[in-house]
Amino acid sequence: MIDDEVSMYPMVPFTALVVPLQSGIVPDGGRDEIFQLIFTVFLVLGTTVGVVVIGYMLYNGYKYRDRGDQDDDGIDRPELGELPEGGGGGRKLALSLLLSAAIVISLITWTYFALVDVERTQPAEAENALNVQVEGFQFGWAFVYPNGNTSDTLRVPEDRMVKLTVTSRDVFHNFGIPAFKMKTDAIPGQTTDTWFRPNETGTYQAQCFELCGAGHSAMNANVSVMESGAYEQWYANTTPANTTSGNATGNNTTATDASATADNATAANNGTTAA
Amino acid sequence: MPSIKLYAGIYVVLFAFATAQVAVEFVGLLESAYWIGLGVILVLSLIKALFVAGYYQHLRYEPRSITFVVLSGLIVALVLTIASSYSIT
Amino acid sequence: MTDGSEPTPDGGYAGTGDELPAATGEGDHATTESHGLPPYGSVKRWLVTTNHKDVGILYTVTALFFLVFGGVLALLMRVQLFTPGSGILSPMGYNQTVSTHGLIMVFWFLSPFAFGFANYVVPLQIGAKDLAFPRLNSLSYWLYLFSGLLLGVSFFQGGTFAGGWTMYAPLNIPTYTPSIGASTAILALLLFVVSVTVSSVNFLTTMHRMRAEGLTFRRLPLFTWTILLTVWMMLFAFAALLAALVILSADRLVGTTYFASTSPGGSILWTHLFWFFGHPEVYIVFFPALGVMAETFQTFTGQRIVGRKWFIAAMVLVALQSFVVWMHHMFLTSINLQIKTLFMATTIGISLPFDLMVFSLIYTTIKGRVRFATPFLFTFGSLILFIVGGITGVFLGAVVLDYQFRGTYWVVAHFHYVMVGGVTALIGGLYYWFPKMTGKMYDEFLGKVHFVLYFVGFNLLYFPMFVAWETPRRVFEYPARLTAWHQLATVGGFILGASFLVMFYNLTKSLVDGEAADGNPWAYSTTAEWAVPSPPPLENFPGVPSYRSGSLDFLGGSPEVADGGEVTDGGTLTTHDAGTQAAHADEPESHASIWPFAIGVGAFFVFLGLSGLQEGSFAPGIAGGVYLTLALVGVAISAVSFVALGREHFHAPTGPFGESWPFEAIENTKLGVWIFLASDIVLFGAFIGTYVFIRISAGWTGWELVPGDPIPGLMNTYLLLTSSFTVILGLVAAEKKSRWGVVASMTTTILLGIGFLVNKGLERNHLFHEGIALSSNVRTSTFFLTTGLHAAHVIIGLLIAVYMLVRAWRGAYLENERPLEYFGLYWHFVDIVWLFLFPLFYIL
Repeated sequence: MIDDEVSMYPMVPFTALVVPLQSGIVPDGGRDEIFQLIFTVFLVLGTTVGVVVIGYMLYNGYKYRDRGDQDDDGIDRPELGELPEGGGGGRKLALSLLLSAAIVISLITWTYFALVDVERTQPAEAENALNVQVEGFQFGWAFVYPNGNTSDTLRVPEDRMVKLTVTSRDVFHNFGIPAFKMKTDAIPGQTTDTWFRPNETGTYQAQCFELCGAGHSAMNANVSVMESGAYEQWYANTTPANTTSGNATGNNTTATDASATADNATAANNGTTAA
Repeated sequence: MPSIKLYAGIYVVLFAFATAQVAVEFVGLLESAYWIGLGVILVLSLIKALFVAGYYQHLRYEPRSITFVVLSGLIVALVLTIASSYSIT
Repeated sequence: MTDGSEPTPDGGYAGTGDELPAATGEGDHATTESHGLPPYGSVKRWLVTTNHKDVGILYTVTALFFLVFGGVLALLMRVQLFTPGSGILSPMGYNQTVSTHGLIMVFWFLSPFAFGFANYVVPLQIGAKDLAFPRLNSLSYWLYLFSGLLLGVSFFQGGTFAGGWTMYAPLNIPTYTPSIGASTAILALLLFVVSVTVSSVNFLTTMHRMRAEGLTFRRLPLFTWTILLTVWMMLFAFAALLAALVILSADRLVGTTYFASTSPGGSILWTHLFWFFGHPEVYIVFFPALGVMAETFQTFTGQRIVGRKWFIAAMVLVALQSFVVWMHHMFLTSINLQIKTLFMATTIGISLPFDLMVFSLIYTTIKGRVRFATPFLFTFGSLILFIVGGITGVFLGAVVLDYQFRGTYWVVAHFHYVMVGGVTALIGGLYYWFPKMTGKMYDEFLGKVHFVLYFVGFNLLYFPMFVAWETPRRVFEYPARLTAWHQLATVGGFILGASFLVMFYNLTKSLVDGEAADGNPWAYSTTAEWAVPSPPPLENFPGVPSYRSGSLDFLGGSPEVADGGEVTDGGTLTTHDAGTQAAHADEPESHASIWPFAIGVGAFFVFLGLSGLQEGSFAPGIAGGVYLTLALVGVAISAVSFVALGREHFHAPTGPFGESWPFEAIENTKLGVWIFLASDIVLFGAFIGTYVFIRISAGWTGWELVPGDPIPGLMNTYLLLTSSFTVILGLVAAEKKSRWGVVASMTTTILLGIGFLVNKGLERNHLFHEGIALSSNVRTSTFFLTTGLHAAHVIIGLLIAVYMLVRAWRGAYLENERPLEYFGLYWHFVDIVWLFLFPLFYIL
């Protein structure tokens, strides 16, 4: 959900977040760049930690294996019927815990800044964004443009932010375009918001990522990223279709914002898109 | 062990509080200051519940650990209710 | 083939070629009577037994059957996924397979498998002769079995549930999943939850109250610790699931509209209820495996667990934290950013205690004498798998990454690594405790073969899922470039399946003619189950177990002890111990009752019959008639069985017990009632929370109350309050030994309760005549179902009260008024719930 009104967030003043965001530590850029960077870092760190820890385990298991012929090495071993002792080794454990906590917490904090970045939009971009409503149904996707036109292909211009307001006409779906690392739930009676900024023309796939019935495996839609000129031409030639489930907002060919809340849902109280 | 008199007294209080809750509505408090009325009514319910639990169910006289068991259940239910309600956008 | 008459050196009896060694109930008793329990060879024994060891075996064997069932379903999926696109299963067939694979593995396999061990081992480890409520223990097993049978039946009623084990709304309502089989599957799960709740109450009472002297919580064996925490989590988490399932069943069978697409907050309500349960559930499922790991790491390294008290603290923390992380399953829904952040933090928080436990286990191997016997191969392997799974879980906790991983095979691979990693440890437990449970040793070479095949198959099956993570979940279409990985996974799946064939062969063969096992086949084991013969005699111990001297002794028993270790017997008997022995000799404990089985049968028919309901009534014609008849037959069987259960003379283990903190001053039954009420609090709490959630979603102040007028509700409040008062008067009368007083007060209570119900009926009729019905809209749905659940509690209370009235008429409760007190606890609880329902539904 896009949350431009970050002032709603009580704990951390927005200004405090600006510094890390501008310092370049936090991944910036399109969603796919953010994802790739974070994923790669996690993968490298995760693999390293996994290899080290498992390797250490295997090493110890081998080093201290019972060789059967060992003399009594003077170590006090557990005996049947004993009561367990208090438990030593607290210091070593505490150190290990501290180390792993440090790694995990700093990793997550780092990704948290990326989360905030993803969740907000620059005001300048928001004005220029293309707002499309996405309606999932069993078993396909309908895309409703600001001028009321409904399409079964998501056509968007390249290099411009696209803000999606996603909902469902029937059951719980999930709308995702893997190529743009963008995904959000499609919930009946509610809306969720997300965005992406495609920077290469071409045709991509949108899929459903929540089991929704017999046709779930085939619930795809095409996403066509066009050059701006070609897009504008296509858009100008569309007219509000009269087969949408009650959505024609006024003729709004400029890409300003979201007067279109998802009023195809009957429960009116949720999911306003942020202005 | 509480006496019959105490039980009877509590019964009277419970009866009165229940009536009072409806009275809050009939007096119009819910129309003029809904949230205050809601607070009053729920507090009355809470007090009634405490009386029934403490005396009729003898919780006051049982080991304190039992109260904690009951409280745990209550806290679990509250966490679910409050967090899910808070998450509504 | 040996005959069954010669005792082996450790006190047990060698097998006769039947299922299990024909141990009789002799143990420490001079008598040859086995307390009414038929011998092992007979089918009847298994139907009537209430002994925890037998029930444990029943659970283990049944769970293994469900493992095969769920595993076959998984292999069907893997075959379908061998190439992208459709295959041997139709789309709906595939969805059913996916869903039941998940349901069976999570519910009908994992926990029952763990509880097979818990049943068998926990009483032994804590020094108890049985669980606190042996018949309830047997009841939980039969309810479990019959719930599984019900799930099996659901396949044949137009197709079983096909909406994923997560059963999201509104796919789960009849509009989108109309088949009757889907309703049956949900009812089966509901019955399973009842089984779990009964079991939790039993285990909690037992573990808190019935420990041996000197066995404080700090000194409790780690496996028992994990079971203790598991059942605490179960008590509360499953109550939330029960609420969700009751509401879903109402939507499917009776016509309420909680989860309809058009109901405010309906879809996301389900995700809250389900995941609030679902997250603790994954720890419920994993903790017993952790316990097995702790036990075997100690035994097979010959080192005490490093930082044991921190290990315990970490586990307790996880159990508590498990209830505040659930929204990380909902990061992509419409929840607000603040709460997403909060749950991201709590999710990372819960990974930290696990880190500590992992390190503790690893450090335990240092300076140890590590023996890679089959049990330890499995638990050592399971730690490796858990580490991989845990690391990949951190990925999911980073919300930005989760945005991509949602609904993909990354999640699938992650949870299979951790959950099946847990299974791996439990398999280790199976090998570990197999000699104890059967008196036979398994074949070590075959065990190692099993492990190698298992470990290779496991990683070949699940690791490629990380590589092919972009595959969406629950689909059989995926990008062609990922085909090779899916094919590897399918091969791995079959290897993993084949490894189990080795296990089944090994264990069956060993059961029949394996080497006899000692009481303690494992060096460096410390817990009490290894201090008794394999298998233990019916009464478990040769004396009263006590740690008073600083280690395990059996006080006052026969000189015959288990081999191995330093267990001594004798020690001076205090009058305390002598008293226990004397009491025991007067009233031998019971071990058999047919009524739990009968109740299971009744429950099966009731729920099967109910599955035929649609919009609140049975379909016209033969099919509807059949369902109605089944339900009525089930009710009749259950009613007779419950009464018989109540009237049966059954002697459960009584105190005094060694350690009972913090419930020293309360008896078992009362504690059991309170624990049950705590779970009922969560059930009603979830119902009320649901109402609050829906009402906020719809706009709180704009919500028009269903009853037009609070006066009928006020009348009902008066009726219930008065009935609580009369119940208390009845208790006072019983204390004063006044038979008429008890009869009068019970009668009045019943009349008041009937008045309450009559008043409700009148109110419902009145509303109906105004055109307001249960299924009109979500306001009526919440009103009728919540107050309906309450009314159901009143009805059950009245049935119990009628039974007690009859007994009171005949003079019962004058010597022992405690049943009246227990009834009162329940009845006052029902009253308290109404004290909140009344303002919420009638005034506010």
